[in-house]
Amino acid sequence: MTTAVFAPSRLEARARLVLPGLLLVVLALLPTAGLTPNLIRLLFITFVWVTASLGWNLLGGFTGQVSFGFAVFYGLGAYTAALMIDRGVNPYLSFLGAALIPALASFFIGLPTFRLRGPYFAIATIGVSEATRVIMNNLAITGGASGFRIVEHRPFRQVDHYYTALAMAALAVAVSFLIQHSKFGMGLRAIKQDEEAAADLGVNPYAYKLAIHAVAAALTGMAGGVFARYAAFIYPQGVFSFQTSVYILLMPVIGGIGTVWGAVLGGVVFGMVEEQLVANFPQIHLLLYGSLLILIILAEPDGLAGLLGKLFRRLRTPR
Amino acid sequence: MATPILEVEKLTKYFGGLAAVKDVSFAVPEQHIYGFIGPNGAGKTTLFNMIAGALEPSAGHIRSRGKDVTGHRPFSLVKSGIARTHQIVCPFRAMTVLENVQVAAHFGRKNITRTAAARDHARQVLAWVGLDHQADTLAANISLGDQKRLELARALATDPELLLCDEICGGLNPKETRAMLDLLERIRQNGTTIMYVEHDVKAIMAVCDHVMVLNYGQKLAEGKPEEIQNDPAVIEAYLGKAGSQKKGSRPVA
Ligand SMILES: Nc1ncnc2c1ncn2[C@@H]1O[C@H](COP(=O)(O)OP(=O)(O)OP(=O)(O)O)[C@@H](O)[C@H]1O
Ligand SMILES: [Mg+2]
Repeated sequence: MTTAVFAPSRLEARARLVLPGLLLVVLALLPTAGLTPNLIRLLFITFVWVTASLGWNLLGGFTGQVSFGFAVFYGLGAYTAALMIDRGVNPYLSFLGAALIPALASFFIGLPTFRLRGPYFAIATIGVSEATRVIMNNLAITGGASGFRIVEHRPFRQVDHYYTALAMAALAVAVSFLIQHSKFGMGLRAIKQDEEAAADLGVNPYAYKLAIHAVAAALTGMAGGVFARYAAFIYPQGVFSFQTSVYILLMPVIGGIGTVWGAVLGGVVFGMVEEQLVANFPQIHLLLYGSLLILIILAEPDGLAGLLGKLFRRLRTPR
Repeated sequence: MATPILEVEKLTKYFGGLAAVKDVSFAVPEQHIYGFIGPNGAGKTTLFNMIAGALEPSAGHIRSRGKDVTGHRPFSLVKSGIARTHQIVCPFRAMTVLENVQVAAHFGRKNITRTAAARDHARQVLAWVGLDHQADTLAANISLGDQKRLELARALATDPELLLCDEICGGLNPKETRAMLDLLERIRQNGTTIMYVEHDVKAIMAVCDHVMVLNYGQKLAEGKPEEIQNDPAVIEAYLGKAGSQKKGSRPVA
């Protein structure tokens, strides 16, 4: 048996834009439909998680480089935005800073480790992540472990935050698709499957891994920045925690590693259930995630997206 | 004489104390098919690995059209026109056959940016090697013979001047072998120089202009196929045993 994969026609490619476009319109109109502030907040958080999930997916899913340290970028983004807003910089400008600083930081981890073969990168991400948290816990200008309060001299309007986060998540989806369907994305796929074979065909794996790491860090950092402005209070034990790194890794794995909609789905599911889990099972919610992770790796490595795809195909095939 | 497309000077590779390749020198003239034979472990793949940049030589020099490329990385050698196939096939198994070749079209010497253009080029190459009917099949699901052909298609899609082929007929039946040798001949006629390693001595003798015999990492002999076949040292060390009876070497029509 051979599996045939047909190249999409131009029409099909356009049809693919219809559903996401519709989704975006619905999400943009939702706040006018009289949602409760609590629901708007939940959706806001979900968009933030979706963005971070898509960021991690670029490196982990597209390129096969597993990082346990994305809290570094999330936290750096949060603190960059916080400090800039605190100094009176326009918040939207501060989100650019929240993307740029983590992108630069990504090179500190990638430059020494991407050259090495083996799990050095994955291990280094844990070390750098923990070291950053310790440093931030003791850094005077950010208030150290006691955290940083962001004072923004303008009225708080929840829908502004909602639309910012929605636009950011849409940007992350667009960036992911653009990369996936480009030469860059083909190079990443090749690296993921066989780095040596990729190099033998002209791909520079080192340069490509550095580049996608930076893009992933930028998206994750921006998510951290947008979150920080909303939260108005951040502390290292939160944004820089190992738990945050685990969350960011978990979402694309739950949803379907390596696919754009899988990473989105993972972010949505996580955003919707996370608070409930923490509230109802404060002691064991991490254990639940761990069990879920093992279950997915064993039963459905393609995640929820893979599962849905299978269901969908089964429904469509007439018996 | 024009500058050879590749010059190798006293190339040496040690793995620990073992000299897998030792003091090997030769020059490959343009548009030749330059063959390498030798028993298992003679150092043929190691030699190719150094030339293609997968292994750094312990000593010696490699020059491509007079330019020193010793120790260059594989992806930059591809850009200077050196491509290789692998003795042990390594397709991107989760990609289709077409996508496998598309990667080479993007990142090889043609450096095609647009995906549609890279696909077009990949399709042409697939048609050329006779693999177009498998274009949309996952590379994991095609036969070994087709995977060998895919190795060749990928290397060709990088638009090489010098193509290193490591046992592209290994594991093929006589008919497939004949077809593969025809393909090599066509590639050369298209202006590409070929370095060719194969256990099948008859195959080597049939297509090569020049042959080198390696033994324990060292050059045992080199010359035209008929010279090699009559070289007493070669007959003694290799051909005498391997030429007629050796397992895995099949006569070619
Ligand atoms: N990466 C490596 N590390 C250690 N030893 C190696 C390595 N690669 C090859 N060798 C050794 O170097 C010698 C030459 O191996 P090589 O693969 O180059 O031989 P070959 O001529 O290609 O053999 P074959 O005909 O079986 O393909 C062998 O003794 C082999 O065991
Ligand atoms: Mg070999």
